Amino acid sequence: MKRALYLLSVLLLASFVVAGCGKKDEKAADAAKAGIKIGSLGPLTGQYAADGNDIKNGVLAAIEVMNPEMGALGPVTLQAEDDACDPRQAVAAANKLINEKATAVIGAYCSSATIPASEPLIAAKIFMITPASTNEKVTERGMPYMFRTCGRDDDQSKAAVKFMTDQLKAKNVYIVDDKTTYSQGLADNVEKLAGGAGLKVLGHEHVNQGDKDYSAVLTKVKAAKPDVFYVSLQNSASAAPMLIQIARMGIKTHILAQDAVYHPQLMELAKKDAEGVFLTFGYTDKETPSYKKFAAAYKKYGEPGAYSAYSYDSTVAYLKAVKAAGSTDPEKVKAELMKLEFDGASKHIKYKENGDSGSNYVIQVVKDGKFTNYWNPETGELFK
Amino acid sequence: MATLELSEISVRFGGLQALTDVSFCVREGDIVGLIGPNGAGKTTVFNVITGVYQTSAGQVRYDGTPLRALRPHKILALGVARTFQNIRLFQNMTALENVMVAQHCRTRVGVLGAVLRLPSQKREEERIRQRSLEALEFMDLGEFAGELASNMAYGLQRRLEIARALATEPKTILLDEPAAGLNPAESRDLMHTIGRISELGINILMVEHDMKVVMGICRHIVVLDHGVMIAEGKPEEIQRDPRVIEAYLGNELN
Amino acid sequence: MEFFLQQLVNGITLGGVYALVALGYTMVYGIIQLINFAHGEIYAAGGYMGVILISWLFAQGFPPFVCLGAALVLAMGYCALLAMAVEKLAYQPLRQSSRLSVLLSALGMSIFLQNGLMLTQGVYDRAYPTEMVQGGFELGTVMISYMQCIIVGVTALLLVALNVLVYKTRIGKAMRATAQDKTMSALVGINSSRIISLTFAIGAGLAAAAGIMVGLYYGSVRYDMGFVPGIKAFSAAVLGGIGNITGAMLGGLLIGMIEVFAAGYISSEYKDVFAFIILIAVLYFMPTGIMGENVDDTRV
Ligand SMILES: Nc1ncnc2c1ncn2[C@@H]1O[C@H](COP(=O)(O)OP(=O)(O)O)[C@@H](O)[C@H]1O
Ligand SMILES: [Mg+2]
Repeated sequence: MKRALYLLSVLLLASFVVAGCGKKDEKAADAAKAGIKIGSLGPLTGQYAADGNDIKNGVLAAIEVMNPEMGALGPVTLQAEDDACDPRQAVAAANKLINEKATAVIGAYCSSATIPASEPLIAAKIFMITPASTNEKVTERGMPYMFRTCGRDDDQSKAAVKFMTDQLKAKNVYIVDDKTTYSQGLADNVEKLAGGAGLKVLGHEHVNQGDKDYSAVLTKVKAAKPDVFYVSLQNSASAAPMLIQIARMGIKTHILAQDAVYHPQLMELAKKDAEGVFLTFGYTDKETPSYKKFAAAYKKYGEPGAYSAYSYDSTVAYLKAVKAAGSTDPEKVKAELMKLEFDGASKHIKYKENGDSGSNYVIQVVKDGKFTNYWNPETGELFK
Repeated sequence: MATLELSEISVRFGGLQALTDVSFCVREGDIVGLIGPNGAGKTTVFNVITGVYQTSAGQVRYDGTPLRALRPHKILALGVARTFQNIRLFQNMTALENVMVAQHCRTRVGVLGAVLRLPSQKREEERIRQRSLEALEFMDLGEFAGELASNMAYGLQRRLEIARALATEPKTILLDEPAAGLNPAESRDLMHTIGRISELGINILMVEHDMKVVMGICRHIVVLDHGVMIAEGKPEEIQRDPRVIEAYLGNELN
Repeated sequence: MEFFLQQLVNGITLGGVYALVALGYTMVYGIIQLINFAHGEIYAAGGYMGVILISWLFAQGFPPFVCLGAALVLAMGYCALLAMAVEKLAYQPLRQSSRLSVLLSALGMSIFLQNGLMLTQGVYDRAYPTEMVQGGFELGTVMISYMQCIIVGVTALLLVALNVLVYKTRIGKAMRATAQDKTMSALVGINSSRIISLTFAIGAGLAAAAGIMVGLYYGSVRYDMGFVPGIKAFSAAVLGGIGNITGAMLGGLLIGMIEVFAAGYISSEYKDVFAFIILIAVLYFMPTGIMGENVDDTRV
C-alpha cells in the first residue's frame, strides 16, 4: 500500500517531465565546428517568449537559406540565448556570446534589453542588429556596430497620430502603456504629438508589465468615452486580455495598438475580441519573391510573427556583408554592410550611417482573424 | 484479555538514561499506580507506551501485539488512551468539539461525503455528537459543552481531558497526575470518578503524587526512581518497603 | 459612485480568486508551519488542466456549464493528487528536519513544477475558449459580466464548502486539532500524516479552481502564471493572519479590493506597491495579521 502510494506520487510528478522529453533542441547539433557563429538574443521564456522565439526562428530560416552560399566561410551556426526581456539577464547573455566567439548578434526584442546588452557587444566589436527594438535611443548612442532593421518609434508615433486625426477624425484619445522603455517611450511620443495635432489627451495611465487585470483602468476609460483608445503594450500576450476585457466591459471605441502586439497569438488568445483593432506596423508586401522565399524557409516554424521577417533580413544582411568582405573582420564587414542594398523579405534594406534602415509604418487592422493593411499615412488613403 | 505488558524497557536521551529495564503489567480490571519522585521517568513510561518516544531496548506489548513499530494513532486505535500531566486540550475548540475529535478513529466517512453532507455522514456526525455528550455527562461536564476549552476553569479542564480520553473508547487509560492542582474536594470527586471508570471495565494506569489518592484506589503500585523500578506490589506492601521509604516516601515525609 | 460600485464588483472578483489561493498557503502553514512555495505552481497546473479539459469538452459540443463543471471537478482532483504527491515526496521525508530544509525543498519543488509545465506545455500563452462564457448585464450603471458572476459564485460555493468541512465535520475537527497540537491529536487517534496530506489536497483543489477561473477570465494561461498571484495570495494569507482560514478569505478579498481601488483612484502602476504598503502597515500594528492569534508552541 505504502509502496503503491509512493509509486503513484512519482508517476504524478513524472507527468511534468515526460511529455517534454520528445522534443530536442537543435542547438547542440553542430556545435564546436569552425565557421561563422551568429548569436540570437531575445526572450525565449516568460511572457514575451513568442516574440523571442520568432527572432530565433527568423535567424534559423536565414541561416538555412544562406548556408549554401557561404562557401569556405561556412558553415553558419546559431547560438540562441534567452534574455527573458530582463536587462541584467541580457547583459549576462551578451557576455556569454562574447565568450563563445559569436561575430554578430541578432536581437534583442525589448528595447530595455537591447540597450544594455549592446554595450559589451559593441565594445567587443560584435555586430548587434536588432530586428525588433524600435525605441529611438537604440541607434542614437553613436555605436559603430549597432544596426536596426525595423522602424523607429518616433516615426511610428507620427503615423499613429496622423491616423487618429486624419482618418478617424478623433478629437480626443486615452492612452495606456505598460512602462517598458518601448511601450512608455511610444506612448509619451504620442502624447507629445497629440497636443500639436489638436488631439486632446483625456488620460495617460500606466499599468504594470505582465498585468492581466485591467479592470480599473478600463473602468476609467469607459467613463471617459474617448474617440480612440491608444494601447501601448509590450506584446500580444498582454494585449489579448486587454482586448477581452474591453469587449466584456462593453467599451465601444476605436482601439489603436502598435507593432509589438502584431503576432498571430493575438487572435489565438483574444479571438473575435481582436476584430477591428488597428495597429501601426511596418509595411510588408507579401507578394514579393524575397518574401515568398522567406515564407517558404520559415514554414516549418509556424506562422511568422511580428519580427520574423526582420530577423531573417538582419541575418541575411550580415551574411551577405561577410560574404562580400570574405572574412568576419568587423571593420571589413562594416564597410560592406554600409554599401549593401537589397530587397529583403520585410522591406528594401539599406542601412544609414547611424545604423537605422528607415521606417515605413502603415495602419493595419485585424479583419476576419488576420492582420490586413488598412491605411497608408504617406498617401492618406485606404489600402485596396 | 487486554493486557499491557512492558518488558525490560530502556530509554536514553543523549547521555541521560531515563529508563532502565522497566518491566510490569497492567491486567484486565487493574488500577495500577505508577509513583516516584520528580524526574523518575513516569511520564516517559507513558510516552513510550503511547508511541511518542521510541525505546532504546525492550518491548511493549498490548494484547500480545508489539507496539514498537506502531505510530501513536494506531496504538490509540488498539485501545490505549491517555491524559497529560500539563493539560493539553485543543484550546481553540469547545468542550464538545474536543471530545468529538477524539471519536475520529472510531468513524469512517471521507472528505467527499463530509463536504456533500451525505445522509450517511449526517447520521455519523449525529452519532458522534451523542456519544460525545455522553462522555461529557459522565464527567459531569454536560453544561459546559459549548464552552471554549481555554475559557474553562482549571479543574474542569482536567475533567475534560479525561472525557476526551474516554471518548476514544479505550480499554486501557493512562492518567498522568490527574489530581495535580486540584483542591481536596475536587481530588475526592476525582477518586470517585476513577472508580466509576474502572467499573466501565477500563483498565487504569495512573501517575499520581497525592498519596491519599494512590493508596485509596490503586490495587497495585509500581515505584520508579531515577528510571529504575525499585519496588512493585500492593499498596500496603509498598508503604512498608524500606527502599521506597528511603527513596521517595522518606523524602516526602521528612 | 458608479465608478466606486464598478470597482467594488471588480475587486470582489479579483479578491475571491486571491482568497482561494491564499487558503492553500494558510492551511498548510497552519498545519506544518511551512510556506509552500510550490502552491503557485499547483494553481498554474490547475489552469492548464482546465484549458486542456475545457477546450476538449467544448469542442465536443458540451454545454458551457457541463464543460466548466467537469473541468473544475477533474482539475481539482488532479491538483489535489499532485499536491499530495509533492507532499509525500518532497516534504514528508523531511518532517523531522529543520524548517529551513523543508522550505528549500518547497522552493525546489516550485522550480521543478514550473519548469515541468514549461517543458510539457510550451512557453507560449495557451488560449481558453473564452467564447464559452460571454457577455454580461448592466445593473444600474454597473457592468457585470457573466464570467464575474461565475467566479464569484464558484468562489462563494467553495468557501462555504470549506467552512462546512472545517467547522462542521469530523475531518475538519481533526484538521484543526492537528494544526493546534500534532502530538496530542495523534494521541486521540488522528493519523496526522493523512490529515496533512488531506490539507495539501484541499488547498490544491481550491487553487486549481482559481487557476481555471483566472484562465477563463483573462482568456489564457502561461507556465509562469503562478508566480505573481502566488506572492499576492501569500501576502493575503499573511495579512489575514497566517494559519487562520477566515483570515485568508478576508485577506484575499482585501488585497483584491486594495489593488483595484488603488488602481482606480491612484494609479494602476502603483497598485501592487499599495497592496504591499497596506500589508506592511497592518503587520506593523497587528504583527499576527488581522485574524491572527498567538498560538503557543506546546510540546510533549
Ligand atoms: N524529550 C526529552 N529529552 C530529553 N530528556 C527528557 C525528555 N523527556 C524527559 N526527559 C528527561 O527524562 C527524565 C524523566 O522525565 P519524566 O519522565 O518527565 O519524569 P517524571 O517522572 O517526573 O514524569 C527527566 O530527567 C527528564 O528531564
Ligand atoms: Mg511527569
